Amino acid sequence: MRRWAVPLLAVLAAAAALAFAALQGPASPPTVEERVREVASGLRCPVCQSLSVADSSSQVAREMRGEIARDLRAGKTPEEIRAEFAAAYGEWVLEAPPKRGVGLVAWLIPVALLAAGLLVSASALRRWSRRRARPAPLSDADRELLARALAEEEG
Amino acid sequence: MSDPRDRLEARPGAARRRTVFVAGVLAVVLALGATLGFGLTRDPRGVRSVLVGRPAPDFALPTLDGSATVRLSDLRGRAVVINFWASWCAECRAEHPALEAAWARYRDRGVVLLGIPFEDLPDHSRAYVDELGGGWPILEDPGSRTGLAYGVFGVPETYFIDPGGTIVERHVGPVSYEDLTAGITRLLERDA
Repeated sequence: MRRWAVPLLAVLAAAAALAFAALQGPASPPTVEERVREVASGLRCPVCQSLSVADSSSQVAREMRGEIARDLRAGKTPEEIRAEFAAAYGEWVLEAPPKRGVGLVAWLIPVALLAAGLLVSASALRRWSRRRARPAPLSDADRELLARALAEEEG
Repeated sequence: MSDPRDRLEARPGAARRRTVFVAGVLAVVLALGATLGFGLTRDPRGVRSVLVGRPAPDFALPTLDGSATVRLSDLRGRAVVINFWASWCAECRAEHPALEAAWARYRDRGVVLLGIPFEDLPDHSRAYVDELGGGWPILEDPGSRTGLAYGVFGVPETYFIDPGGTIVERHVGPVSYEDLTAGITRLLERDA
């Protein structure tokens, strides 16, 4: 069990550091531009291929950013704004698929793959450690050599 | 059988497990490849409007000449056709005669045709209307807010709204006179 202690501690320390950084957040409250960017980066630009509203320089994207800014100033939450755009453009407009129906598959695949990877590595680790824990049995010749050496030592 | 590696290979179940593993990986790769291949055959722009069958988003917009304000909810009980266009859009120019013809045919039958510029400057919109004429109300949509509420991807786009205020049809790209008459006929049938 002690063999696991060091890596376990290392993982826990890394997780704690990440959690601390995540909880701490940015030093100053985000500006409207930053909040617009955050919402816009989660929305697909309707007239582009594979560009978010935040990254596109197209007119529609610009108008959409303007609408997001107006909505944010009016006190709407990012979720409400996303829902509004999804109501007009369909869920297609959301960069992240909804966590239900077919969209749920996209959320579950990484989790399933991670779990599968953990299982595979755990079983591989167990196999390796078992192999190392059980050394190959000594041959008769080895045994004889060993006995002789020990006898010499004692003698 | 003296080499320990031979014994390892011969362990019952190991070979079968490997076959199952390889088959599993192959199946996943094939499934992903098939999904990607299917995605490549589809037009990413061919997105059906989610608004068809839903209540049309309401708006109250001033006409381009500033003479009046048009509120969609005031038009309840009438068939409404909303055409989103822009002065910079060549296809809008191409569909203009069809709109004109449909307007001439249906204006006296209670059908409302509204033009809403999308991503356009009011001065440019006005110049376009002065040049091409028309006569149906053209509204001003600051910030294209109404266009965004209707989920307009690009111009021209035409929405057919029944007397109950429900979006019945959405036409992407330039409309022909036949598209317009067919769409309007469906709206008028719903009235009856």
